[in-house]
Order: sequence, then C-alpha cells, then structure tokens
Amino acid sequence: MLIERRQILKNTLVWAVLGIMLLFTLVPILFMVVSSMMTSRQILRMPFSWIPEGIHWPNFTKAIKGTDNNYMYLRNILNSLIVSSTVAVTTVGLASLTGYGLAKFNFRGRNTVFMMIMGTMMIPFETIMIPLYMVVMLLRIQNTYLGLILPFLVSAFGIFQMRQYLTTFPTEFLDAARVDGMGEFGIYAKIVLPNCKPVIATLSILAFRSQWDNLLWPLLVSQNEKMKTIPQYISMFADEKYTDEGAMMAAALIASLPMFILFMSLTKYFLGGAAVYESRKG
Amino acid sequence: MGNKKYKGIEKKQARWGFIFVLPAMLFFSLFNFYPILNAFYTSFFDKRALSRRAPKFIGLGNYERLFRLSTAGNPLSFYNSLKATFIFTLGTFIPLLVMSLLLAVLVSYLKNGRVKKFLQISYYAPAVLSSVVAATIWMIIFDPRGLGNQWVNTLFNTPGVDHRWLVDPTMERLSTMVIYFWKYIGYFVILFITGLASIPPTLYEASLIDGANKNQTFWRITLPLLKPTVVLVSVMSMLQCLKTFSTQYMIYTNGAPRAAINVITFNIYVTGIQEQYLSRASAMSVVLFVLMMLLTLLQFRATKSENVDY
Repeated sequence: MLIERRQILKNTLVWAVLGIMLLFTLVPILFMVVSSMMTSRQILRMPFSWIPEGIHWPNFTKAIKGTDNNYMYLRNILNSLIVSSTVAVTTVGLASLTGYGLAKFNFRGRNTVFMMIMGTMMIPFETIMIPLYMVVMLLRIQNTYLGLILPFLVSAFGIFQMRQYLTTFPTEFLDAARVDGMGEFGIYAKIVLPNCKPVIATLSILAFRSQWDNLLWPLLVSQNEKMKTIPQYISMFADEKYTDEGAMMAAALIASLPMFILFMSLTKYFLGGAAVYESRKG
Repeated sequence: MGNKKYKGIEKKQARWGFIFVLPAMLFFSLFNFYPILNAFYTSFFDKRALSRRAPKFIGLGNYERLFRLSTAGNPLSFYNSLKATFIFTLGTFIPLLVMSLLLAVLVSYLKNGRVKKFLQISYYAPAVLSSVVAATIWMIIFDPRGLGNQWVNTLFNTPGVDHRWLVDPTMERLSTMVIYFWKYIGYFVILFITGLASIPPTLYEASLIDGANKNQTFWRITLPLLKPTVVLVSVMSMLQCLKTFSTQYMIYTNGAPRAAINVITFNIYVTGIQEQYLSRASAMSVVLFVLMMLLTLLQFRATKSENVDY
C-alpha cells in the first residue's frame, strides 16, 4: 500500500516535470502564432486572451511592406534564400570532394591535411570575424552576395561527416569503374555522390539553417538595406523606434515557417545526433 | 614490370587525392588560418579603419588597455564584458546541463513510443526557430504589460508588480539566460537521449536481476557510462554560451541598457565594427580565442581518459 502510494507520487512528479517543460517550450511558440493575428493592443492586454478575434491582416502587410513601405522584407527573404542555398550547395560539393579525397586516396600529408581541417573547428567564427571583415573591406565585396557567402563555403564538420561516411564505401566499385576507363572526376560525380544521399541531406539542412539564422556576419558586411538578410530585417523591426508588436510577430512567424516545414517533414535529420554538433560553428 | 606499372597508378592516385582536397585547403588557409594569425598580428598595432596612415606597432598596448585595472569600474569596460560573459555562461550552462539530463532520462524511461517522440519533438521545437525570432518572442513576453509579469504575478500572488525584465541589470541577465535556455534545451535533450540509447539494455537487466532499483541503476550505471556525453554536453554548451551574441544584440536593439549584457562578442562588435577600433577588437578576439581554446583542450583531456568499453 505504502509502496504503491510512493509509486503514484513518483509518477505524478515525473509527469509534472515533463509537462511543465512541455508548456515552457511550446507556449512561447503558440504565443508567436496567436499574437501575429492580434493588434498590438490585444497582445499587451492584461490579462492576455489566447483566442484571437480573427486575423489582424495589417500585421502581415506591415511585416512585408516594412516601415518604409518598400517591400524590403521580400528582398531580404530572397537574399536569405540565395545565401543559404548557395552555402548548402557549396558545403555539400566541397565537403564530399574533400571527404572523398581523404577517405579513398593515399597521398603524402593526408593525415596532416585532415588534422589541419579538424583543427579549424577550434577557431570560433567570433574570433576571426574582425580580420574577415578587413578582408571583405579590402576586396570591396561588402554588400554583395559574395561577401555574405565566402567565409562559409565549407565546414570542417561537413568534411568530417563525409570522410566518415565514405571510409566504409567499398573500394571495389571505384576500381571497377577505373578499369572501365571512367575518369576520376566521373567516378566522384557518378558513383560517389549518388551514394552519399543521407549525408548530403543532413549537411545541406545544417548548412542552410546556419545561414538562415546568421545575424552576426550579415551585420558586418551588409549595411545596404537591399543586401540585408531576414535576421537583420527582424532586428530592425525590433528597434524601439518602430515597435509594432503585432507586425513584429508576423515578421517572425514568416521567417520561421520554412524551417518549421522542413523540421516537420524531415524530423529524423533534425533529431539525429549530427544536428547538435553543428551548433559549434556559425 | 607489373610492379612498376602499379606504382605508376599509385602515384597518379595520390595526385588525384591531392587535387580533391586542394580547394578545401585553400579555403581554410584563406578564411580560417590567415584570419586567426591576422587577429594576433593586428592586436599588436593601433589600427583604425578610417585612418590612412600606417598603423603603429604598440606591442601589448591593446591588451594592457583591456586589462587596465582603472577601467574595471567602467560599466562598458572589457572587465565587465568578461564578467557579463561568465555570469551568462554559468547561469545558462548549468541549468541547461541539469535539466537536459533530467528530461532525457525521464523521457527514455517512458514506455509509450508515441509520447516519447512527441516530447522529443516538442522540446526540440524552439531550436528550430532562429535566435533572432526567439529573442523577439521573449521580448514581447518580457514587456511590462506582457505575459512574463502576468505569469509571475499570478504564481507569486503579487498583482500589478512590474519585474523590469529588460531594464534592471540583474533581471536583464536573467532574461537573456531564460531565452537562451529555452532555445537550446532541446538540442541537449536530444544529445543525451542519443547517449543514453548507446548504453546496452543488457546492463540494466543485469542490474535489475541483481536487485538494484531505478535510483541505484541511475547513479551506479547510467551516469558513469554517460560521463563522456556529460563532458561533451557541458563543454559544448559552455563554448556556445561564451560566444553568445544574437540574444544580447536583439535585447539591446529593443532599448535595454547595454552594460549588463555587454558580453565579449557584443563588445567586439561594438568596438571593431561600430567604433572601428580594429586592433582593440582583435585583442578581444584573441582573449576569447584563448579562453575557448583552454576549454576545448580541457574537453580533450577529459574525454581521452574516459573511453568507456561496455
């Protein structure tokens, strides 16, 4: 009887902890969704009402039109899409090429090259951004896509993942292709790449996402309104001078939708262990 | 003969291997190794962006200036950045570590697979949002008329009190910690669940047969075997916290006072980019680099001696 009661108490405690944390993580997201449909006055009403009285569309039109009515958000969304997709493509391309070279070829200095690439993981972006900024000023590529993309072409983590994956790839396939007279680049493009699909999926999601979220580097290189990215746009919107809570939440919701759609359709790539390591860079 | 031909192929192979890694090597040399060396180099000069004259060599002058004791009282000094960063790091990574471990263990004890998955996805959901969006949501929650005050006042029965979430220095720090904790808890829960899943279930069965209860199993078996993950998560979350930027930047942009949240990266940004003191900012970058390097080495040492065999 006593033991049973203790068990019930324990279970209640476990569910309480799990439930409280569930509320803690989900309620703010729900708050974003609900308040993007409300006027600023309704958002800051005491007590807050969780059921919106219909959708307050001006939030969304204002989020897209911006404070100057020039539809800058659309341009900035386009910029983020261009930068994030380019980085995803270059990361996959360069990481697979390098990972393949490191996994399947014997050349002098291979281990040194590998160690050097792994060593860059210890250089946090925040400690090299000032020199990188000086390089960008020197090359006069501030306010260009090139400037936004260049420091993120490939990541050591991506190369590591590709190398690990390809080490187990059967060498006989490669040799067979060589005997058939296929060139080395042909082998890479036609045999190696198509066989790395799971890693390619993980890496491109991580690379896309790291640039979709990047605020710091665009702050340094994009001063021109037309070259800003989504995080910069939202931060401008948060500026106390313009504060319009409803429109701010609408802008935040629009920025989050693509990632949420990706997350819901590709949950396993997000919840795989790899997704967590990415947080070391960017 | 055949041997010679084989050697020729090997040589050709070696060349291809080199060609394949060359682009990445060029990239890392230009955008990682050169910049970090340049950060060290620049930190010994007095380089300012707009000045046309060649920068003067001032040795350790920038470092001396950063660590000059008389600046300690200045709310925007580097000393205060260090302090703000350490407070933020400690106040964030310890709760992150404890809570993510607790949640991961509780979730993995659950029997129902659907509930398990639902909880994992829900805890991870904030991590899907960008830091800027996370800060935006919480800024409105922390508004004087916002939900933050309403919740706390209901909970502690203190109607009408404004807790000055984004105004009072201590509360400002607490707010950034809450935002960061909220955004990253899911990451670490998943990492711990992955670590827990790698412990063979036979060990639990064996301990149950030996008559151990869940509590004993946790402290005697799970935790020691989980130690590598614990070390990894604690160092990773510490490194993460040390380079926090977006949360502080957003809150500042929204009008909060800077002193309490002037973390190192934020100070580098303001000093180097807004005020264009490139050398001074480089010196700060070097200090941050050394700090993070020490932590990484600590992690290596800790994990190396902790290779667990099941």
